Amino acid sequence: MAGYKCARCKQKVEIDLNVRCPYCGHRILFKERGAGIKHLKAR
Amino acid sequence: MEISFSRLDEDIARFTLKDATPAFANTFRRTMIGEVPTLAIEDVMIYDNNSALFDEILSHRLGLIPIKTDLSEYVRRSECSCGGEGCSSCQAIFTLSVEGPCMVHSGDLIPADPKATTVSTDIPVVKLGKDQKVVLEARAELNDGSEHAKWQSTLACGYKAYPVITIDDNCDACGNCVEECPRNVLKIGKKSVEIADGKLEDCSMCRLCEKACMASGIGDKPAISVKPDTERFIFVVESDGSLPVKDIMTSAFGIIKNKADSLVDVLNEISGAI
Amino acid sequence: MIPVRCFTCGKVISTEYEEYKKRVEAGEDIREIMSDLGLERYCCRRMLLSHKEIIDDLNPYQ
Repeated sequence: MAGYKCARCKQKVEIDLNVRCPYCGHRILFKERGAGIKHLKAR
Repeated sequence: MEISFSRLDEDIARFTLKDATPAFANTFRRTMIGEVPTLAIEDVMIYDNNSALFDEILSHRLGLIPIKTDLSEYVRRSECSCGGEGCSSCQAIFTLSVEGPCMVHSGDLIPADPKATTVSTDIPVVKLGKDQKVVLEARAELNDGSEHAKWQSTLACGYKAYPVITIDDNCDACGNCVEECPRNVLKIGKKSVEIADGKLEDCSMCRLCEKACMASGIGDKPAISVKPDTERFIFVVESDGSLPVKDIMTSAFGIIKNKADSLVDVLNEISGAI
Repeated sequence: MIPVRCFTCGKVISTEYEEYKKRVEAGEDIREIMSDLGLERYCCRRMLLSHKEIIDDLNPYQ
């Protein structure tokens, strides 16, 4: 599962039950980009 | 068949094609638009992109960037000796690695082949903010405009029939048609209306002059008549910069010739089989 | 971001955008700027005329 990042304190967050940053309580999280290379067609 | 240029630059040409059929003029136009191959970015491998644009939008923008093409150096991937795996003669590789804050331009694409560069170095691709980063590799391929418009070598490419304006002897030089013409093709001469110097090719054959002539009460038939010449055509060809217009035209003629030859071969084969 | 090419004819118009914007802000006549930049057809002209740049508003949100 891809990790998340808190929009306020920028710390890495794991989501289990609640969508909430355990460090600062902020409820907006960004999904982190996957590590792989993304192949796309330029169309 | 004869071509005379009234303008020939690197990226725009204006010429008249003489002694051709309408079918050939249209074939020539269609071939220049859809069959002349150019390089354009087709595959993008994105390692990192945290800009405001999605990966898909970014790669689409990259695809539209025109790339200088040397048709003697590159072949289509499907016709390449590598069998479509991708080698230096069927693809041009670019790398891009930029960290913000800045504007990413097409000049930041670093070509592996120094000949296959972007036409312009200052096409904006994406604006990066602080801590934003784009790292990617792009592969350009040779293909044609009938596959996707990004491979289209021409921009404005069209023709019109050469206008033939005849003014009868019963013209009384009333000047109604001169006033009516939206492109100022006509002028008042000594005894009748005349065509202004060098303006004939501007005529759009709208026939407002014929109507104006009729309205002036000249009789059953207008004294001026505008007709298209079906054997002469005025062409305008504009290139996007990936190929010079002259190369587009010559390779279009080559393609037409090859297609016609292969048609002859097929017909011979069929008639021989019977 | 300004589109790379004109939607209709395919001419690369994005290269002219920065200069266009600068000159519009300087108070020049838009018609003259466009003719000056070689944007002859009205399809290309509308690309610049009707563009609204929102990348700076989007950037804070990744």
